Amino acid sequence: MSSSGRDRGTPGACAICRRRSWLLSALSGPLDFCARDRGRLIELLALADDELLRAVAGRRARELKSRYERFQADEPAPEENAGAICRHRRGYPPSLRGPAAPHMLSVAGGARRLVKLTGAPVVSIVGSTVASDYGIQMARSLARGLAASGVTVAASLADGIAVAAHAAALDAGGASIAVMGGGLEVSCPARRRSLYEQLTRAGCAISELPADCGGRRWGQLAAERIVVELASLTVLVEADDTEGDLAGARIAQALGRTVAAIPGRVTSPLSRGTHALLIDGAKLIRGPRDALELLYTHDARTDQPAPQAAAGALQAHTNLAPRLAALLERVGAGDDTPDKLTRDRGDCAEVLLALSELELMGLLARGDGGRYLPRDALPT
Amino acid sequence: MLARAHTFTIEDLHTRHVTVEVDVRRGLPGFAIVGLADTAVREARDRIQAAILNSGYEFPARRITANLAPGDVRKAGPGLDLALACALLAASGQLPPQALERMALFGELALDGAVRASRGTLAIAHATQRAGLATLALAGGRAHEALLIDGLRVLVVEHLRSAVRVLSGGAGDPVPARAAANTRGHVSADGQAPVPDPGTTDLAYRDPAALDLADVIGQHHAVRAIMIAAAGAHNALLSGPPGTGKTMLAQRAASILPPLDKREAIEVSRIHSLMGTEVRALAVARPFRAPHHSITAAGLVGGAARGCVGEVVLAHNGVLFLDELSEFARPTLEALRQPLEDGRVAIARARHSAVYPARFMLLAATNPCPCGYAGDGERCSCSETDMARHRRRLSGPLLDRIDVLANLAPEPERELRAPALMSSEQARARVKRARERQAARLSGERVTVNGHMDARMLRLYVRLDERCEEMLRTARRRGLLSARGEHRVLRVARTIADLGPSERVRARDLGAALAMRPDVALAASRAA
Repeated sequence: MSSSGRDRGTPGACAICRRRSWLLSALSGPLDFCARDRGRLIELLALADDELLRAVAGRRARELKSRYERFQADEPAPEENAGAICRHRRGYPPSLRGPAAPHMLSVAGGARRLVKLTGAPVVSIVGSTVASDYGIQMARSLARGLAASGVTVAASLADGIAVAAHAAALDAGGASIAVMGGGLEVSCPARRRSLYEQLTRAGCAISELPADCGGRRWGQLAAERIVVELASLTVLVEADDTEGDLAGARIAQALGRTVAAIPGRVTSPLSRGTHALLIDGAKLIRGPRDALELLYTHDARTDQPAPQAAAGALQAHTNLAPRLAALLERVGAGDDTPDKLTRDRGDCAEVLLALSELELMGLLARGDGGRYLPRDALPT
Repeated sequence: MLARAHTFTIEDLHTRHVTVEVDVRRGLPGFAIVGLADTAVREARDRIQAAILNSGYEFPARRITANLAPGDVRKAGPGLDLALACALLAASGQLPPQALERMALFGELALDGAVRASRGTLAIAHATQRAGLATLALAGGRAHEALLIDGLRVLVVEHLRSAVRVLSGGAGDPVPARAAANTRGHVSADGQAPVPDPGTTDLAYRDPAALDLADVIGQHHAVRAIMIAAAGAHNALLSGPPGTGKTMLAQRAASILPPLDKREAIEVSRIHSLMGTEVRALAVARPFRAPHHSITAAGLVGGAARGCVGEVVLAHNGVLFLDELSEFARPTLEALRQPLEDGRVAIARARHSAVYPARFMLLAATNPCPCGYAGDGERCSCSETDMARHRRRLSGPLLDRIDVLANLAPEPERELRAPALMSSEQARARVKRARERQAARLSGERVTVNGHMDARMLRLYVRLDERCEEMLRTARRRGLLSARGEHRVLRVARTIADLGPSERVRARDLGAALAMRPDVALAASRAA
């Protein structure tokens, strides 16, 4: 718990933990080789520094060992504004106590904010990187409702479900935590730049790796483990039955965390993973309301009652004019283009007007190919 | 002795009056042509000499100077031969010079004295009339083009001897029979019914009767969108998976536009005449140009060579259809911005600059994603990176100028036996009525269609009730509409009301316009 002079830039992380972070980035190559096997990678990440060196450094063991010992001398000055926090400091997210939990986190957005965000209940949203419009809308619906209820959303910054969750949480005026697969700014793809900026203004982006470490495959998997370990509830939105899509949910199960999934169509390959998980005993949820209920019954830390979820959307649903409600149900049932909706020779202009009205109310979104799709599950 | 004749030369899309002065005097025999003549004109010396001799006239063995005035206009093409030869004959006393003063002559000479037709006849005839010359003498091959101009006396001269006869007060040769015939899609000057001509291959004059909206089965939403686009001259984008009929629908867009009026018809016919297309009658069908996506920027807007106009000019007063929009090179699409904004294209090159008319309706078609099946459940195999790249190619300034997005989804099999929404004739009638309403409303403005209204006109002519205002406010608040997007929605809403017909823009008009707005699905990222 040294707080020597060189620690000024990252006041929240001790040298030991920063050395761990450096070691991980130095072993990035061999670790990437192990990334094919999720279980092995998690096991490796649970090892102490010297064991990790012995396990994966191979021929470079001696060289890395000597650099590891000299670490304090040639360690570069950390970036001025990126805060950090390590496991030896007060406020370090209490959920990160597992054997493979990260030792320290660099935080864009401020360590203090991370402490505050992880003080609230955290739900992680995981899923496929090639999501369908349905998956995107469900991820958004979930994140929107949770963020509006004061829950912190955690997700990686991978394409598809994760990015949709962040965007929706921020849209709803909430905050989310993005776990990066490499050094903070380095591993942010250019097309996610504006989302990243937004994130660091309202929420935060975190990484267990030093700022100059590029993003690699093992980093993505390692980030996924932090995502689910941060949260007391993990929701799988849409996933195929592949290792990549299911990694987050499986790690959460291994950690003994509550895992839930939003069902999809049984005919879609992007539902194979979610449905497999549901059969394995994951909780079935339909939207933020179910998620909140689950969260507040299983999270022992919270003694307050579950807040009313996504009040806005729910209210819009209940006060809906009958013609709009009927149309919304038809869209949800699969009549998702104007052509399908006017098949019974309905008034075309009226249908288009109703679709636009529903879109303006935030109940429908236009997806790819001009298809309309509901933004939330139907109220029960 | 000096003689003068009148003819015209073609400069880009303009015709320039040229006075041919020929002076024959004592001196060393020779034939000089001065006055900024290009190679084809200078080669005229040999053609004229042979033609005159082979026609049985005398080629004076004296010093001959031909001057083409004005001297600063570049003269191009072989169409000046006839005027040069006749002026030469008049200057050498073989022809009375007076008749030359009241007549324009146009044609290329063969070595035996026969007169050949040259491109641009319609434009020359138009220019002759405007120059105040009552008569135009030209070859029979394209005389029908000149006959399209009202109030112009056209004399056909098939041979140099006929020209001499005409200039001496005699009658012209008979007009070739086929000049009176009509081709598909055209109405002759005397209003006879069109006669099919299977040899016509020119895309610009596609037979509108053969491509009918009634062929489009199902896709009612898209058909309506195209009709709305046609009614307000809005640029439209058709988006849908392969095989849903995007191209089929676009090809029929020209058939529902109102026919060209006389002024537009002459503009269109002139352009096509100057580009070498044979014009057998004034166009009534709007041009439909569908360049392949490998086209270059120069091919699209022109300027590759002097006088070489691009597809946008050929599509003037008609439809420019860009199929597979995302496959076009980015600079090519960027080049469309000026014509789309101003209705004209200004070309500046090292050695010349020119302004061409280019007011067209842009129709574009694209797949919703690289594989084409986005939104179609599991069929789409594109990664988010693919999608982002696809959107980036489409988005930007061009998409900003598209008012209407028509999405086409695959039609279930039972729909393929369903009736078509409407025939071209029905659609055309509705479009025509809607355009009349627009023209009446915009009578004090320089535009006649909703699609060309600017922000000031929108404030003036698109009045909204409280419910519509509320809808727009909500759309802005939700980030569904930018300021520019709002203008586009208002234009389209005005057109939908005109098709109604309704004098007010009602909520249902605005709702439909919002449903057809182009952004979100394509421009915005799907997730973020």
